Formats: sequence, structure tokens, C-alpha cells
Amino acid sequence: MTYESVPGFLEEREAHGETTVVVERETLAEAARHLRDEAGFNVLADLAATDYLGWERPRAAGYWGDPRGRDINSPGSWGLQTQPEPKPARFSVSYHLLRVTSGAREAPRLRLQVWAEDGDPIPTVVGTWPTADWHEREAFDLMGINFEGHPNLTRIILDDDWDGHPLRKDYPLGGEPVRFSGEE
Amino acid sequence: MAVAKPQPQVIYEGTRVPQPVPTILQVDPALREEGDILEVNFGPNHPSTHGVLRLVVELNGEQVVGLRAVVGYLHTGFEKNMEAKTWWKAITYPERIDYVSFQNNELVFVLAIEKLLGIEPPPKAQWMRMLLCELNRIHSHLVWLGTAALELGAISMFWYCFRERDAILDLFELVTGARMHTRYFQTGGLAEDIPAGFYDECRSFADSMQARVDEYEDLLSGQAIWLERTKGIGLLSAADAVALGQSGPVLRASGVDWDLRRAQPYLAYDEVDFDVPVYPNGDVFDRYKVHMDEMRESTRIVQQALDGMPEGPWIVDDRKIVLPPRHELHTSMESLIHHFKLVTEGYRVPEGEVYVAVESPRGELGCYVVSDGGPKPWRVRFRAPSLVALEATATCMSDALVADLIAIVGSLDTVMGEVDR
Amino acid sequence: MAAVGPRKRRLADYGLNSERTLMRDKGPSVFERELGADELEDKLMLSTVEKAVHWAQGYSIWPDTFGLACCAIEMMSIVSARYDVSRFGAEVFRSSPRQADLLIVSGRVAHKMAAPIRQIYDQMLEPKWVIAMGACASSGGMFNNYAVLQGVDKILPVDIHVPGCPPRPEALLEGIVRLQEKIKAGVPPAYEIRGVAQ
Repeated sequence: MTYESVPGFLEEREAHGETTVVVERETLAEAARHLRDEAGFNVLADLAATDYLGWERPRAAGYWGDPRGRDINSPGSWGLQTQPEPKPARFSVSYHLLRVTSGAREAPRLRLQVWAEDGDPIPTVVGTWPTADWHEREAFDLMGINFEGHPNLTRIILDDDWDGHPLRKDYPLGGEPVRFSGEE
Repeated sequence: MAVAKPQPQVIYEGTRVPQPVPTILQVDPALREEGDILEVNFGPNHPSTHGVLRLVVELNGEQVVGLRAVVGYLHTGFEKNMEAKTWWKAITYPERIDYVSFQNNELVFVLAIEKLLGIEPPPKAQWMRMLLCELNRIHSHLVWLGTAALELGAISMFWYCFRERDAILDLFELVTGARMHTRYFQTGGLAEDIPAGFYDECRSFADSMQARVDEYEDLLSGQAIWLERTKGIGLLSAADAVALGQSGPVLRASGVDWDLRRAQPYLAYDEVDFDVPVYPNGDVFDRYKVHMDEMRESTRIVQQALDGMPEGPWIVDDRKIVLPPRHELHTSMESLIHHFKLVTEGYRVPEGEVYVAVESPRGELGCYVVSDGGPKPWRVRFRAPSLVALEATATCMSDALVADLIAIVGSLDTVMGEVDR
Repeated sequence: MAAVGPRKRRLADYGLNSERTLMRDKGPSVFERELGADELEDKLMLSTVEKAVHWAQGYSIWPDTFGLACCAIEMMSIVSARYDVSRFGAEVFRSSPRQADLLIVSGRVAHKMAAPIRQIYDQMLEPKWVIAMGACASSGGMFNNYAVLQGVDKILPVDIHVPGCPPRPEALLEGIVRLQEKIKAGVPPAYEIRGVAQ
């Protein structure tokens, strides 16, 4: 099924058996409504925000193989240093959609993805899928993504007076250094 | 439904999802002026055994007219912590997320890694994983039944359910060495082969389990107080359940026939025969019936898995991901090098993003993994069914009394470790 | 004094006076006659009030229903029939901290939860004891990060730490038994002898 008729369509990718549709951030609400009503994706299974800060830094060499062995024609498997492809923006928000039909023996899924820089507002989809309420609050709380139009965008997982957004890559892991009992 | 800006919040006519915030039941302003509203805090520590859930409830006499759930009292920072560990070490973490059905969490993360790697575990590993996950489903439903009945006053159920639960944990200990948080699923299969004696013990447990479930039903299903406290309470219609993203027993008790084991079969679920219980009313009693029937179906799956368990290796044979057998380390240089690299740096997972979902006892448990091609995950996100179930409390709670509040929150089967991660 | 075998301790050896030493002319009392006058010391148990109180406290210690995470599930299983904790005296788990003696902190403590825990601990009446059950309550466990308190002993004085992830029910029972031994031995509860960790 092709998704080019989705409002704000930018790109469609297939990988590992999953389809990802990238749409423009500003028209996300229309895209969501279209996918719910025209394409029938009536359940928002998950809303995942990812921070790609530091994605382009060069990484150490390594190779990977699979049970058939190494593919000698693929440069990534020669032990050469691979430069990852740069991402369109710092944050991506992926909406995992699912079509639930009572009694069905198939589960069509779709990943709807938008990209945003730090501070860019993303329209809320609470009007389409009410379950997005807490998911968006959590993405705001832990990643700092601003959802425009959300009726109650407050912290949900952390203390109300917490500073910062922990899941960002520039927020430290925290914790304590481990002290060993034999140390001075 | 017109597409307009701003998006209207009404999903369809007749919805009981509260407005404007779907997860907060707000007091009618007219009632606030004339009535006598009492705000009560069911704080994070309370006698019911749900863990640290806080509900701020507004009461008009005995009736619940306002409800707001506050979560986050068990936030552990799983997702950030897993980004700092190698893939192998990170597998230890997901178990503690939903600490009652621990192996389902492990399963979903390991399946996501395997999907990115593009490997398929051998059949014996698939069947064994399925068997352990079904035992875990029975374990989870037993804990749910024991605690939900305890809260409604049927205290003896707690002891009966925990008797069976200890039998299941004995089986886990026999296979994996630990009662809870077994860390038995490994990328590519299982960590070790199945010990001798397990199949007989498991079979004798499964043979006795059907009779036990009938015993529990006898104790509760016909009991007048239980019926009065659960029938017609906490109604959730099918359309509301779908709009609120519900899955698992809550969705099936509202009349929607949806089970990921049948809709997108994973492991070996397409090779065993089981029914999916669906009940139409969407009240607490139907959710209880769904749980009971699921215990019976899981026992059937366990018995079929024991009958159909294939022989063969328990882990995939790829030395880039799996440790070589110890005896090879003395003779093969490559095995030694691979062992060293796997233990120190760990295997690398190719760049990509995947979303894998399994049917945990609470619903759709999903794992979204982004890999940057390195030895550590870039982003791991768990879609917790309990978070979504808690979003439905405000909808279920319209015209509920205080006593029903406990029954409804109990029937949604939430585990706070999942909600807060 | 020539003795065959160990000399029997008499009341006078304990510094106690009985009627026999105070009023030499009075014969044995009804009580002594019933027991048999010579074996009085064999039939009475002598103790101090302190020891008796400690014995009562230790063997009727009632925990609070304070389950946080995975360890709570194992804590529930010590109530179950197989690992019955009521044979050790913890007959009921009280829901109200005002009625409980023992706070078993079972599970990881998030920073958001730290204030409620302290409030509950303050609401308990003295004497009160705390068991930090599991690795997360003892030291933060495997979660060395921004979200988890690295050990509940940072906010509460802890008597017994029970390691494990989660500890087996038998391990928690061992922790409770050791606490009982501590109480019987007269060790004061932790809030009297130690503060919170650094």
C-alpha cells in the first residue's frame, strides 16, 4: 500500500519488514486524521521520541556478519570505519500505528515519523487518538519535545520541579561512583 | 468526521472518554458549586497491592466525580541506563520493568535485537521461549487474581493462587536457576540447554493446573458478593477501548477479538492450538473471566509445547553473536578471539530501527530499538500496556462508587514498574 | 560448700529476697508448697523486664505493607503458606504505618518516592525497625543513575540489609530472624545508634 496521499508526505522507507512514512511536522495532525480515517489505523500503539545528538561522530572500526558469513561485497563488513548517514534533525518522534480489527489474523502496522529541532513545536494527535495524552506528556517530560495543542502538557514521570530532560543525550546518566571497601 | 483546525476532541458520538483531557475526570462545575466535594488522596502507599499508584479522587458523598492519576513514583531510568550498557548486559534490564511477567519483557527486547541482526533462533529455542512465556502468563494471572481478590475481600484466594505461583517459580528455578528475573533468553536462543527432569515436572504441573483453575472459578464466579462487586462495574465500550489504545484482557473483555499471538504470530504460536477468550460486556467481571480463561488456554499451550518440543541446538550457531562452547577455546584460535571480543566489547548490531510487539499478560508490550551499528543501543523504548490501561481509568470511572474504584483499578491489571519504567 | 554437680542458684544469688530470707520463722507459702519448696528456682524463669520486653517485641513484629517493585512480589510470597512468616511472629501486615513496627523497603526507591517513604517512616511509632530488602533498597542495585536513590539508607536509618535481586523468600526470612536476634540481644533500633548514610 502506498502512502503518498498522506498530507505532508515526505518519504517512505521499508526495512526489516516495517514501513516508515516521514511527514512534515506542521501538518502532522492532518496526516494523523487521514491515516486513522482513510487508512484505518485506529490504534496508536506507541509514541517514541529519539534524540540523535552525536549521531554523526565517527565511530571505531568493526564488522558484523550473520549466519551466512560476512558479505565481502559490503564495505561495512571489511572492518572499515563507517560514517553513519546524518539525520534530518536532532529529534525524531515515531508514532507506531496499528489497525485493530476484531477477529483479524493480521496486524498491519505503520511507523509515522516526524523530525524536529530542539524547541520546534509538534502538533498534538490527542484529538485523533486520545491515548496519545500520556505518551506525549512522557515525551515532553523525558525528552523536552513541545507538543502544541496538548490540553495538559505537564511532567508525568519525574518530579514537577525537576530540571532538564533526562533522556536527552546531553543529560548525564547520573548516579554515584562505586566505592570499593578496600580503597583508601 | 470533519478534518478541521483545531482538531475536535470528540472521537465519535456517544464516547465516554472525558473532555478536554482524556485521562482526567473533571468535576462538573455546577456540581462543584452546589455539592460537597471532598478531595481524597489515595497516596502512593496504600493497602491495595498495586504498587505505587497515586489517585487524587474527588468524591461527592460516595460517588467518584473527579479522578486524576499521578504516576512516576517508580521511575528507574531504564531507558537511559540501557543506553550505557552493551547489548548483552542490557538484556538484564527489561525484566525488571514488568516485574510480574518478567520473561515477556526479556523476550521482546531479545526479539528486537534478533530482528535487527536478522537472525532466527533454532526451533527448540522458539518452543522453549513460548513455553516459558506461557508459564509466565499463568504466573502473572495468578498474582493478579490473588491480589485483586484480596482487595475485594476474598482473602483466601491469595493463599491458593500463591500456592500455584510457587509451583511455577519452582519450575523456573529448575530451568534457569532463579525464581524471578531469570535472564534465560539470550540473543540467538537460550542461555543454556534445558536441564534434565524439567519436562516431567512441567507436565505434572500442567496436568494439575486445569483442575486448580476450576477450583478458583468455583470459589468466585458464583459467589453473590463477588458478582455484586464486579458485574456492571467499570464499563468500557469497545470503541472507547480502541480509541484509548487498549490491548490484552481489557480489550478482549470489551468485546474486541484481538490477540497478537494470533494476529501476528511470533515464536511458535501458529503451530499450537488455543482459543482467545472474548467477552462482550466490558465490566470488571468480564475482565476476570478473560483472565481465568486465559489461564486455561495457557495451560493447554504448555501441554502442547511439551508434546511438540523439538530436539536440536538451543542457540544459533553464529560465533559473532554467541559465545563458542568452552571446549573449543583450547583448540581453536578463532574461537578464543571471538570469545574475547564478545565478552569485552560485545557484538555489534547493524544500524536501523525496529518495533517489536508481543502479547504480554497485560496487553501489547512493545519495544522500539534504534541501533547506530555499535556495541551499545542508541535508544530503547518500551511501550508499556499498563500505562495505557491507566489512561482508561477516567473513562471506566464514570458513575463509580468509592468501593468500585478499587475493583476497577485492580481489574485493569497494572504493574507500576511498567508504567514508570 | 561441698557440691555434687552444679550448685543450684537460689533466689538470694540473684539478689532477690523471698519470704524465707525475710521472715525466717514463716514456713513455705501456698505457692511454694504447690511447686515443691526445693525446686522453686527450677520452676520459675527469671529475667529482666528489658529482656522480656525485647522478647515480646521481636517475636511479634508487624510489618507495614510497603511494596515498591519486584521485591514486593517476593515479600508477598513470604506471607503465603509455603514460606509462612506468621510462624515468626509477623502475623499480619498492617496497612497503616501507625500500627506497624517494621518497614520492609522492598524495591527501588525513585527520587519522587523518597518524600512519601520518609513521611511513612515518620508516622510509625517507636520502636520501629527498617529492613532494606534487595539490592536496590540497600544500595541502588543495578540502577546507578539519575532516577534511583542509591540506597534507602540515605534517607532512613536501616537495621538490616537483605541482598538479592530479588532475595529469595528464605533470604528475607533470614533477615527477619536476624532482626529478631538483634532485638533479643538488646541492640537498639537503628534510629538510636546511627543516622543516615552519606
